[in-house]
Amino acid sequence: METGGHVTTMEAGWGGGVSPFGATWQKTMMWIFIVTDALLFSGLLCGYAFLRQAGAAPWPDRTQVFSIAFIALMTFILITSSMTMGTAVTAARLGDRKTAMANLAFTIVGGAAFLSCQAYEWTHLIREGARLTGALPGSELVEKGVTPQFSQAFFVLTGFHGSHVFSGLVILVITLIRTRMGKTPAQGVEMAGLYWHFVDLVWVFIFTLFYLI
Amino acid sequence: MSETASAASPYRIYRITWAILLVITVAMLAAEKFHLPRVFLILFLLAFMMVKATMIGGNFMHLRFERRNLAWMVALGILVTSLILYTFITPESWNVQTKSAGPAPNRPTLEQQ
Repeated sequence: METGGHVTTMEAGWGGGVSPFGATWQKTMMWIFIVTDALLFSGLLCGYAFLRQAGAAPWPDRTQVFSIAFIALMTFILITSSMTMGTAVTAARLGDRKTAMANLAFTIVGGAAFLSCQAYEWTHLIREGARLTGALPGSELVEKGVTPQFSQAFFVLTGFHGSHVFSGLVILVITLIRTRMGKTPAQGVEMAGLYWHFVDLVWVFIFTLFYLI
Repeated sequence: MSETASAASPYRIYRITWAILLVITVAMLAAEKFHLPRVFLILFLLAFMMVKATMIGGNFMHLRFERRNLAWMVALGILVTSLILYTFITPESWNVQTKSAGPAPNRPTLEQQ
Protein backbone atom coordinates (compact mmCIF):
# COMPACT_ATOMS: atom_id res chain seq x y z
CA MET A 1 0.00 0.00 0.00
CA GLU A 2 1.42 3.38 -0.96
CA THR A 3 1.86 6.04 1.63
CA GLY A 4 0.07 9.31 1.13
CA GLY A 5 3.29 11.27 0.53
CA HIS A 6 4.56 8.90 -2.15
CA VAL A 7 1.22 8.92 -3.97
CA THR A 8 1.28 12.70 -3.99
CA THR A 9 4.82 12.65 -5.43
CA MET A 10 3.81 10.12 -8.11
CA GLU A 11 0.76 12.18 -9.04
CA ALA A 12 2.89 15.30 -9.29
CA GLY A 13 5.35 13.41 -11.52
CA TRP A 14 2.73 11.96 -13.86
CA GLY A 15 0.94 15.28 -13.95
CA GLY A 16 4.06 17.01 -15.24
CA GLY A 17 4.80 18.83 -12.02
CA VAL A 18 8.27 17.31 -11.75
CA SER A 19 11.03 17.96 -14.27
CA PRO A 20 13.66 15.25 -13.97
CA PHE A 21 15.83 16.81 -16.67
CA GLY A 22 15.51 20.34 -15.35
CA ALA A 23 14.44 21.47 -18.81
CA THR A 24 11.22 22.61 -20.41
CA TRP A 25 9.16 19.98 -22.21
CA GLN A 26 10.05 21.56 -25.56
CA LYS A 27 13.74 21.17 -24.88
CA THR A 28 13.33 17.64 -23.52
CA MET A 29 11.35 16.63 -26.61
CA MET A 30 13.98 18.20 -28.85
CA TRP A 31 16.69 16.17 -27.13
CA ILE A 32 14.69 12.97 -27.47
CA PHE A 33 14.21 13.74 -31.17
CA ILE A 34 17.96 14.34 -31.52
CA VAL A 35 18.73 11.01 -29.85
CA THR A 36 16.39 9.14 -32.21
CA ASP A 37 17.76 10.97 -35.23
CA ALA A 38 21.29 10.17 -34.06
CA LEU A 39 20.30 6.50 -34.02
CA LEU A 40 19.22 6.79 -37.66
CA PHE A 41 22.70 8.00 -38.58
CA SER A 42 24.22 5.42 -36.27
CA GLY A 43 22.40 2.71 -38.24
CA LEU A 44 23.56 4.20 -41.54
CA LEU A 45 27.17 4.33 -40.34
CA CYS A 46 26.94 0.71 -39.16
CA GLY A 47 25.58 -0.19 -42.60
CA TYR A 48 28.53 1.62 -44.15
CA ALA A 49 30.95 -0.31 -41.90
CA PHE A 50 29.25 -3.53 -42.97
CA LEU A 51 29.48 -2.72 -46.68
CA ARG A 52 33.10 -1.70 -46.39
CA GLN A 53 34.06 -4.84 -44.51
CA ALA A 54 31.94 -7.29 -46.49
CA GLY A 55 32.96 -6.20 -49.96
CA ALA A 56 35.35 -8.57 -51.71
CA ALA A 57 36.93 -5.75 -53.71
CA PRO A 58 39.24 -3.35 -51.86
CA TRP A 59 37.74 -0.03 -50.77
CA PRO A 60 38.82 2.73 -53.18
CA ASP A 61 41.43 5.28 -52.16
CA ARG A 62 39.29 8.26 -51.16
CA THR A 63 42.00 10.75 -52.14
CA GLN A 64 41.66 9.49 -55.73
CA VAL A 65 37.89 9.98 -55.71
CA PHE A 66 37.43 13.16 -53.66
CA SER A 67 39.32 16.38 -53.15
CA ILE A 68 40.00 16.15 -49.42
CA ALA A 69 40.90 19.88 -49.36
CA PHE A 70 37.40 20.62 -50.66
CA ILE A 71 35.82 18.39 -48.00
CA ALA A 72 37.96 20.18 -45.39
CA LEU A 73 36.55 23.48 -46.65
CA MET A 74 33.01 22.12 -46.20
CA THR A 75 33.94 21.10 -42.65
CA PHE A 76 35.32 24.57 -41.96
CA ILE A 77 32.09 26.16 -43.22
CA LEU A 78 29.91 23.93 -41.03
CA ILE A 79 32.01 24.43 -37.88
CA THR A 80 31.97 28.19 -38.44
CA SER A 81 28.20 28.17 -38.90
CA SER A 82 27.91 26.31 -35.59
CA MET A 83 29.87 29.07 -33.88
CA THR A 84 27.58 31.77 -35.29
CA MET A 85 24.55 29.69 -34.30
CA GLY A 86 25.80 29.39 -30.72
CA THR A 87 26.32 33.15 -30.65
CA ALA A 88 22.78 33.69 -31.96
CA VAL A 89 21.32 31.45 -29.23
CA THR A 90 23.15 33.29 -26.45
CA ALA A 91 22.29 36.68 -27.94
CA ALA A 92 18.62 35.71 -28.06
CA ARG A 93 18.77 34.61 -24.42
CA LEU A 94 20.35 37.94 -23.47
CA GLY A 95 17.62 39.80 -25.35
CA ASP A 96 20.07 41.17 -27.95
CA ARG A 97 17.82 40.70 -30.95
CA LYS A 98 20.10 42.50 -33.39
CA THR A 99 23.10 40.24 -32.69
CA ALA A 100 20.85 37.19 -32.71
CA MET A 101 19.44 38.08 -36.13
CA ALA A 102 22.85 38.91 -37.60
CA ASN A 103 24.29 35.60 -36.44
CA LEU A 104 21.24 33.67 -37.61
CA ALA A 105 21.79 35.25 -41.03
CA PHE A 106 25.50 34.24 -40.97
CA THR A 107 24.47 30.70 -40.07
CA ILE A 108 22.02 30.58 -42.98
CA VAL A 109 24.74 31.79 -45.35
CA GLY A 110 27.10 29.12 -43.97
CA GLY A 111 24.47 26.40 -44.36
CA ALA A 112 23.68 27.50 -47.91
CA ALA A 113 27.41 27.52 -48.73
CA PHE A 114 27.77 23.99 -47.34
CA LEU A 115 24.82 22.75 -49.39
CA SER A 116 26.22 24.42 -52.50
CA CYS A 117 29.54 22.65 -51.94
CA GLN A 118 27.73 19.36 -51.53
CA ALA A 119 25.71 19.95 -54.69
CA TYR A 120 28.98 20.68 -56.53
CA GLU A 121 30.57 17.51 -55.16
CA TRP A 122 27.57 15.39 -56.17
CA THR A 123 27.37 16.94 -59.62
CA HIS A 124 31.09 16.43 -60.16
CA LEU A 125 30.91 12.75 -59.18
CA ILE A 126 27.72 12.09 -61.16
CA ARG A 127 29.32 13.64 -64.25
CA GLU A 128 32.30 11.37 -63.72
CA GLY A 129 29.92 8.40 -63.82
CA ALA A 130 28.95 7.78 -60.19
CA ARG A 131 25.44 6.42 -59.61
CA LEU A 132 23.63 5.08 -56.56
CA THR A 133 24.13 1.56 -57.91
CA GLY A 134 27.83 2.04 -58.71
CA ALA A 135 30.09 3.62 -61.28
CA LEU A 136 29.01 3.52 -64.92
CA PRO A 137 30.96 0.90 -66.92
CA GLY A 138 33.90 2.41 -68.71
CA SER A 139 33.92 5.56 -66.58
CA GLU A 140 37.04 6.94 -64.95
CA LEU A 141 35.65 6.00 -61.53
CA VAL A 142 35.80 2.29 -62.38
CA GLU A 143 39.55 2.68 -62.88
CA LYS A 144 39.73 4.40 -59.51
CA GLY A 145 38.19 1.32 -57.93
CA VAL A 146 34.75 2.73 -57.10
CA THR A 147 32.49 -0.18 -56.17
CA PRO A 148 28.67 -0.23 -55.90
CA GLN A 149 29.08 -0.41 -52.10
CA PHE A 150 31.19 2.72 -52.12
CA SER A 151 28.69 4.64 -54.27
CA GLN A 152 25.76 3.54 -52.12
CA ALA A 153 27.49 4.46 -48.87
CA PHE A 154 28.51 7.85 -50.28
CA PHE A 155 25.14 8.86 -51.72
CA VAL A 156 23.09 7.56 -48.79
CA LEU A 157 25.25 9.01 -46.02
CA THR A 158 25.87 12.41 -47.56
CA GLY A 159 22.35 12.52 -48.98
CA PHE A 160 20.71 11.97 -45.60
CA HIS A 161 23.04 14.50 -44.03
CA GLY A 162 22.39 17.00 -46.80
CA SER A 163 18.63 16.61 -46.34
CA HIS A 164 19.12 17.42 -42.66
CA VAL A 165 21.15 20.51 -43.56
CA PHE A 166 18.36 21.57 -45.91
CA SER A 167 15.70 21.06 -43.18
CA GLY A 168 17.91 23.01 -40.79
CA LEU A 169 18.16 25.86 -43.27
CA VAL A 170 14.37 26.01 -43.64
CA ILE A 171 14.00 26.07 -39.84
CA LEU A 172 16.64 28.81 -39.56
CA VAL A 173 15.00 30.98 -42.21
CA ILE A 174 11.63 30.66 -40.44
CA THR A 175 13.30 31.40 -37.08
CA LEU A 176 15.03 34.48 -38.53
CA ILE A 177 11.81 35.83 -40.02
CA ARG A 178 9.87 35.20 -36.82
CA THR A 179 12.63 36.70 -34.67
CA ARG A 180 12.55 39.82 -36.84
CA MET A 181 8.79 39.99 -36.29
CA GLY A 182 9.34 39.48 -32.56
CA LYS A 183 7.32 36.27 -32.57
CA THR A 184 10.05 33.73 -31.67
CA PRO A 185 11.11 33.62 -28.02
CA ALA A 186 14.72 32.88 -27.07
CA GLN A 187 13.80 29.25 -26.58
CA GLY A 188 12.71 28.97 -30.21
CA VAL A 189 16.17 30.11 -31.33
CA GLU A 190 17.71 27.62 -28.91
CA MET A 191 15.68 24.74 -30.38
CA ALA A 192 16.75 25.69 -33.91
CA GLY A 193 20.32 25.90 -32.61
CA LEU A 194 20.20 22.43 -31.09
CA TYR A 195 19.13 20.99 -34.43
CA TRP A 196 21.83 22.89 -36.31
CA HIS A 197 24.58 21.76 -33.93
CA PHE A 198 23.33 18.20 -34.31
CA VAL A 199 23.80 18.48 -38.08
CA ASP A 200 27.37 19.64 -37.41
CA LEU A 201 27.88 16.77 -34.97
CA VAL A 202 26.80 14.19 -37.54
CA TRP A 203 29.19 15.69 -40.09
CA VAL A 204 32.09 15.18 -37.65
CA PHE A 205 31.39 11.43 -37.79
CA ILE A 206 30.84 11.28 -41.55
CA PHE A 207 33.95 13.37 -42.23
CA THR A 208 36.15 11.11 -40.08
CA LEU A 209 34.67 7.70 -40.83
CA PHE A 210 33.95 8.12 -44.54
CA TYR A 211 36.41 10.70 -45.83
CA LEU A 212 39.45 10.26 -43.58
CA ILE A 213 39.60 6.59 -42.64
CA MET B 1 27.45 29.08 -17.98
CA SER B 2 29.19 30.50 -14.93
CA GLU B 3 28.56 34.08 -13.82
CA THR B 4 32.20 35.02 -14.41
CA ALA B 5 32.24 33.62 -17.94
CA SER B 6 29.00 35.40 -18.80
CA ALA B 7 30.28 38.68 -17.43
CA ALA B 8 33.59 38.47 -19.36
CA SER B 9 32.07 37.75 -22.78
CA PRO B 10 29.06 35.53 -23.29
CA TYR B 11 30.26 34.58 -26.77
CA ARG B 12 33.87 33.72 -25.88
CA ILE B 13 33.16 30.04 -25.33
CA TYR B 14 31.94 29.67 -28.93
CA ARG B 15 35.02 31.32 -30.40
CA ILE B 16 37.37 29.18 -28.31
CA THR B 17 35.47 26.00 -29.19
CA TRP B 18 35.50 26.97 -32.86
CA ALA B 19 39.27 27.55 -32.77
CA ILE B 20 39.94 24.23 -31.03
CA LEU B 21 37.70 22.38 -33.50
CA LEU B 22 39.60 23.89 -36.40
CA VAL B 23 42.98 22.98 -34.91
CA ILE B 24 41.79 19.40 -34.35
CA THR B 25 40.46 19.19 -37.91
CA VAL B 26 43.79 20.40 -39.31
CA ALA B 27 45.63 17.88 -37.08
CA MET B 28 43.38 15.10 -38.41
CA LEU B 29 44.08 16.10 -41.99
CA ALA B 30 47.81 16.37 -41.35
CA ALA B 31 48.01 13.04 -39.50
CA GLU B 32 48.32 11.09 -42.72
CA LYS B 33 51.52 12.94 -43.66
CA PHE B 34 53.32 11.40 -40.69
CA HIS B 35 53.03 7.88 -42.14
CA LEU B 36 51.84 6.39 -38.87
CA PRO B 37 50.98 2.68 -38.81
CA ARG B 38 47.39 2.24 -40.03
CA VAL B 39 46.08 1.10 -36.62
CA PHE B 40 47.57 4.11 -34.83
CA LEU B 41 46.26 6.46 -37.49
CA ILE B 42 42.73 5.08 -37.11
CA LEU B 43 42.90 5.25 -33.31
CA PHE B 44 44.20 8.82 -33.51
CA LEU B 45 41.41 9.86 -35.87
CA LEU B 46 38.72 8.13 -33.78
CA ALA B 47 40.00 9.73 -30.57
CA PHE B 48 39.96 13.21 -32.12
CA MET B 49 36.52 12.54 -33.62
CA MET B 50 35.20 11.81 -30.12
CA VAL B 51 36.89 14.94 -28.73
CA LYS B 52 35.23 17.03 -31.43
CA ALA B 53 31.84 15.42 -30.80
CA THR B 54 32.19 16.04 -27.05
CA MET B 55 33.11 19.69 -27.62
CA ILE B 56 30.15 20.27 -29.93
CA GLY B 57 27.76 18.51 -27.56
CA GLY B 58 29.19 20.11 -24.43
CA ASN B 59 29.85 23.68 -25.53
CA PHE B 60 27.71 24.36 -28.60
CA MET B 61 24.71 22.31 -27.47
CA HIS B 62 25.27 23.34 -23.83
CA LEU B 63 25.13 19.79 -22.49
CA ARG B 64 27.90 20.75 -20.04
CA PHE B 65 25.54 23.22 -18.44
CA GLU B 66 22.43 21.03 -18.41
CA ARG B 67 21.41 18.76 -15.58
CA ARG B 68 23.46 15.56 -15.57
CA ASN B 69 20.34 13.41 -16.09
CA LEU B 70 19.85 14.96 -19.50
CA ALA B 71 23.51 14.72 -20.48
CA TRP B 72 23.66 11.04 -19.48
CA MET B 73 20.42 10.22 -21.25
CA VAL B 74 21.73 11.72 -24.48
CA ALA B 75 25.30 10.41 -24.29
CA LEU B 76 24.51 6.91 -23.08
CA GLY B 77 21.39 6.62 -25.21
CA ILE B 78 23.35 7.24 -28.38
CA LEU B 79 26.57 5.45 -27.42
CA VAL B 80 25.07 2.27 -25.98
CA THR B 81 22.54 1.81 -28.77
CA SER B 82 25.17 2.48 -31.42
CA LEU B 83 27.49 -0.02 -29.78
CA ILE B 84 24.73 -2.65 -29.74
CA LEU B 85 23.98 -1.96 -33.42
CA TYR B 86 27.65 -2.18 -34.33
CA THR B 87 28.28 -5.31 -32.28
CA PHE B 88 25.39 -7.21 -33.81
CA ILE B 89 25.67 -6.01 -37.39
CA THR B 90 29.31 -5.55 -38.33
CA PRO B 91 30.83 -8.91 -37.27
CA GLU B 92 28.41 -10.57 -39.70
CA SER B 93 30.30 -8.83 -42.51
CA TRP B 94 33.22 -11.22 -41.86
CA ASN B 95 30.94 -14.15 -42.71
CA VAL B 96 29.75 -12.44 -45.88
CA GLN B 97 33.34 -11.77 -46.86
CA THR B 98 34.30 -15.39 -46.27
CA LYS B 99 31.39 -16.60 -48.38
CA SER B 100 32.11 -14.24 -51.24
CA ALA B 101 35.76 -15.23 -51.21
CA GLY B 102 34.78 -18.90 -51.60
CA PRO B 103 34.55 -21.76 -49.13
CA ALA B 104 37.15 -22.00 -46.39
CA PRO B 105 39.71 -24.82 -46.90
CA ASN B 106 38.31 -27.02 -44.13
CA ARG B 107 34.68 -26.28 -44.78
CA PRO B 108 32.75 -28.85 -46.90
CA THR B 109 31.25 -27.48 -50.07
CA LEU B 110 27.52 -27.68 -50.74
CA GLU B 111 28.09 -30.61 -53.12
CA GLN B 112 30.03 -32.55 -50.46
CA GLN B 113 27.27 -31.98 -47.92
